[in-house]
Amino acid sequence: MLLGLWLSACSSPSVREAGAPIRIRWQRDPETLDPLALPNPQAIEAANLLHVGLLQLNLHTGTHSPALAEKLPTRRLLGDSLSEYDYQLRPEATWDDGRPILATDVAFTLKLMRCPELPNEAAGAQIDFIKDFRLDTANPRRITLICRGQVQDYGIASGDFPVLSEAAIDSALLLRRFTLPTLRQAQPGVAKQLAALTSRYQRLDAAHHPERLGGCGPYRLVQWTTNQSLTFERKPTWWADKLPQATTVLQARAQRLRYVIMPDGASATLALRRHEIDVLTNMPATDFNKLQKSAAALRELSFYTGASYDVVYAAFNIARPALSDRYTRQALGYLFDAQALLQATQFGQGVRTVGLLAPSSPFYNDSLALLPYAPDRAAALLRQGGWRFEKGGWWRPKVAEPLHVVFRYRAEDNMYATIGLQFRAAAARLGIAVELRPTEPSSFSQTLRAGDFDMYARTFKGNPFVYNFMPLLHSQAALESNAMRFGTPATDQLLLAIACEGQAARKQRLLRQLQVVLRREAPLVPLFYLPYRLAASRQLRHLVVSGLKPNYEAAALSWATSDSLVAAR
Amino acid sequence: MRRSFPTRRRFAGWVAAAWLLGLVAVGLAAPLLPLPYSPATPDLANLTIAPGQYAAHYLGTDPLGRDVLAQLVFGTRQLLFLSLPAAAVAVAAAALLGGAAGYWGDRGLRLPWLLSLGLGVAAWVWLQPPLLAGLAGAAAGVAVAYLHRWRLPVPLDSLVLGLATLLGALPRLVLVLAFAAGPPLAGGWLLALLALLAWPDMARLVRTQTRQVRAQPYVEAARAAGLPEWRVWWRHTLPAACRPLWTYAPLALAGLIGLESTLAFLGIGVAPDTASWGQLLSQFRQAPDAWWLLLLPGGLLVSTMLALQVFARSQRK
Amino acid sequence: MISWLIYRLSRLVIATWAIASVAFMLSRLSTQQPEQVAFSRSDSIGPRGSAAVLLAGEHAMRHRLGLDVPLFYVSRRPGPPVRWQWNGTHNQYHFWLRQLLHGQFGLSYYDGQPIGPRIGAALRYTVPLMLLALLLAVSLALLLAQYMAAGTGLLRRAVLLGLLGLQALPLFALALGLLLLLANPELFNILPANDLSSEQASFGNLVAYLLLPLPSLVLSSLPELTLPLVATLRHELTQPYATAARAKGLSVRQVLRRHALPNAVLPLVVQLAGLLPNLAAGAVVVEVLFALPGMGRLMAGAAYTQDFPVLLAGVLLVAAARLLALLAADVVHYRLDPRLRAALA
Repeated sequence: MLLGLWLSACSSPSVREAGAPIRIRWQRDPETLDPLALPNPQAIEAANLLHVGLLQLNLHTGTHSPALAEKLPTRRLLGDSLSEYDYQLRPEATWDDGRPILATDVAFTLKLMRCPELPNEAAGAQIDFIKDFRLDTANPRRITLICRGQVQDYGIASGDFPVLSEAAIDSALLLRRFTLPTLRQAQPGVAKQLAALTSRYQRLDAAHHPERLGGCGPYRLVQWTTNQSLTFERKPTWWADKLPQATTVLQARAQRLRYVIMPDGASATLALRRHEIDVLTNMPATDFNKLQKSAAALRELSFYTGASYDVVYAAFNIARPALSDRYTRQALGYLFDAQALLQATQFGQGVRTVGLLAPSSPFYNDSLALLPYAPDRAAALLRQGGWRFEKGGWWRPKVAEPLHVVFRYRAEDNMYATIGLQFRAAAARLGIAVELRPTEPSSFSQTLRAGDFDMYARTFKGNPFVYNFMPLLHSQAALESNAMRFGTPATDQLLLAIACEGQAARKQRLLRQLQVVLRREAPLVPLFYLPYRLAASRQLRHLVVSGLKPNYEAAALSWATSDSLVAAR
Repeated sequence: MRRSFPTRRRFAGWVAAAWLLGLVAVGLAAPLLPLPYSPATPDLANLTIAPGQYAAHYLGTDPLGRDVLAQLVFGTRQLLFLSLPAAAVAVAAAALLGGAAGYWGDRGLRLPWLLSLGLGVAAWVWLQPPLLAGLAGAAAGVAVAYLHRWRLPVPLDSLVLGLATLLGALPRLVLVLAFAAGPPLAGGWLLALLALLAWPDMARLVRTQTRQVRAQPYVEAARAAGLPEWRVWWRHTLPAACRPLWTYAPLALAGLIGLESTLAFLGIGVAPDTASWGQLLSQFRQAPDAWWLLLLPGGLLVSTMLALQVFARSQRK
Repeated sequence: MISWLIYRLSRLVIATWAIASVAFMLSRLSTQQPEQVAFSRSDSIGPRGSAAVLLAGEHAMRHRLGLDVPLFYVSRRPGPPVRWQWNGTHNQYHFWLRQLLHGQFGLSYYDGQPIGPRIGAALRYTVPLMLLALLLAVSLALLLAQYMAAGTGLLRRAVLLGLLGLQALPLFALALGLLLLLANPELFNILPANDLSSEQASFGNLVAYLLLPLPSLVLSSLPELTLPLVATLRHELTQPYATAARAKGLSVRQVLRRHALPNAVLPLVVQLAGLLPNLAAGAVVVEVLFALPGMGRLMAGAAYTQDFPVLLAGVLLVAAARLLALLAADVVHYRLDPRLRAALA
């Protein structure tokens, strides 16, 4: 007992000196730091520290800012099916050994992402829209990317990948013999000719030794204990330090960053209270509220909350005969008590919405009312859809079974369980049998793809700068994302028009129309936007907090003491 | 006069039996009991309420808003309809397989020639092998059958022991996890899996006991009297061989209850609308301050398993 | 003796190979495809491409993981007419076996990295923890059993009740109880954050790290080791040799320690052999609860994410450990019991 008291007394907050690592909590291990295969948000965060891309997400402004590129790319339309983006690299950008970063490195990275026999399938799918590129013989820092399609968010997606060094990976310049279209076609003989490159890449083991790839980011990995922690150290000289005016994305003040992996939210909160971590995001709602009531915690920590861009929604399988008409779907949508669910799971933080856009967005359709909890309206809509209530269930003529719903969700989250239970209770009162099936995350996408469900609950990760709903609602989209099997030619056209539209007024009209269509057809029921919850030590400066993941800008952080040192100089 | 040891044990056995019967009664009568809340309906306004803090939630609620009392009552049904049948199936399988393996060994059971021929024809029809391989296989089969005088022996002992070793070599929990994460199986898969995990140890027990019983004079007398083998096995050997099962079966049931609660705790194979004690315990991780989520289901779990063990000890002569 | 040992070892190898092959077939016959798992790993990374693009990517991954070759040496096409095809050595089973004979467990489906180092890292956490727990449990069991067999009394009965209660408690409930007691911010606060590699990583930190899992493991395995031992010791005390020793003037404790214990230890050894594979398997529940990166969590995670190579390697290791333990138990039994030696000779 004495040992325990002594241990807990020993963890008092001390003033952190400038070189002390800033400790941030991660929910899971990044598993691999290979920039070609970034399987989870933690790996992406680490890649942003180790590598730089042409464009990088700026949490301060909520858009992408030019990083390796000097400015945002200029866009040119070719005909009605192609678009070109011109990128100009910064003259100051160099690799660690002093060699300049040139357009050939960007070209090499694009080809590496389509190289066969490497674990780059996901990355390749992300930049599949880049058909080809064109280098400028007069300007070694200029590259033009030719994209298939004229969607607006290509302006961001075409620059959103880490640029790798050709000299470090492919010193024999093997990939220069092949063009990007050849690699995209995945011809059988190509793999054999590139065997030397692929075996060299595998030997480099970029997943655990990313420094061997020679990244151009401000940090390098100095320690990684699997499922325990990772430590990044600021490079003493970085090319962006020489820039006269550094934008937020090219500022790296933190000298050491340590990411501590704590899957359990409760033990992470405990660690925060014991000063074992300095920044905690994704806090559980109960702990967040409880900590804010404690005077000691308020003295040492600052708390931030706001609306994020992730919306929780429930969706239907339109291919099922029972759910193929919109009256049934609208009826089931009235059985969700979104207000009570928001209060219960998020303690009222977060915000409700009528569609897939946040109320703060300029394109939000405020003429639509929020969906209330109205079981009687649900019953009326069911009758309108041809259902009759008899023998304790809802029946349709010539159908052998009553209305019965299989509701799936990812098993890890309690929030989905609460939503499922509330829906089930409301449906039971109406006479509809609901079967809840929490599904393991690895088989969740599998079941969505196979269509083995009637309804599911999920989170849609949105952002404020791109309004491209095609992966979610287009009829040609992959079944993992458009699991509802929604899509008519009219809606497809509308989605394409939204994605390609640049002018604000026209875009607003189209987006309002989309929200009306979604309300009428009801393929999904948007419930509420999740809030973000972040707590950080008060000794940290330059904490940029945003609703976009990961909610904080790690590289920009610094200790208060280091700032006073800088001021004193 | 001092109470002698056996009587105290027997008394404890009665107490334990009473507790278990009480649980069975509550489980069977659960839908009829006048509970204020149903176990699967969340009370969204009252999450994680302590016992006695809110009027009708006598034992409080869990972080999902479900009433703890209702969950405890309906959780006994999980015991009744999952663990008990699984244990029963395991005991039956252990008795049959272990008894057969102990009685006939590797060479005792011989198939009549008609059955062997039928099996061979069925194998040909199902496999439909290419001509040469098929003829070679058929020739080998005929040769083997001739060597055994047209009555093929079934290597029961090796099969049963091998299967038991196979199932015992893999860690239980990993086996269940592997099956749980696989393709979704039919409704009774959890029951079948639990039974599959519990039968090997009991089968080994029965097998050893059968071998001892088989050497008894009365069994020999029965065989000498001309009774058919299966009748000697079923009517005379098996009942005696199953005697150690009376002590072991409650322990196996306790093990299955523990395994089922561990699975519910890990969130495998159970939906949130089925009440289970293990699930309540898993909610404790979400709310470490909620001591009632640990003590109440934990106490019930401990009492039940203790009762089973005490009952088993009291049955031992 | 040597020939018997060789015979048993060869049976062990065959048994391990059979178990591994069965596990291999079961894993490959699962309908879940690893390439789909890999693409759908994170819910936050929505696929940007259309269905056709994703399908092409999945084909490429299938080819890279070697899953588009036939499964076994022969394959059977079920539709009418039934066709058999000889695949030669170009099949998944052959590649897997060849890799295994070279000592490589292959690459994980999840992140494409070699499995051997991962298992090695996990074993580095599991083996010390389980070994320590086993040693502690055995020593404690020996001491407790001697104490309880020495007589009767109120304290001994209380200890018996306590052991029975512990036996009835599932491992996860015990661990949760310890968590409630020792890691409650309102009460004690011993649970450290999972930061074993901080700059101040020291022996003290390691001790605190093991402070909660170790008692859970020891306490949960204590009853099953102690109670049979107590029964055996009590039985041994009624034997004639024990009476003779007591008549000669030895105390009960001395009789227990020097004469009864060596005889009673034999079934304990057999029991230990059954517990030994847990050294390799780890305790899944404890590791998941306390977030320890050991074998149990590795295999549980592999089962969860359908990462079959890792699962297979783990199963292989545990099965081999179990069979080796059975063999070791037989050898120890033979060495310890002179009657067996006489019977075999």
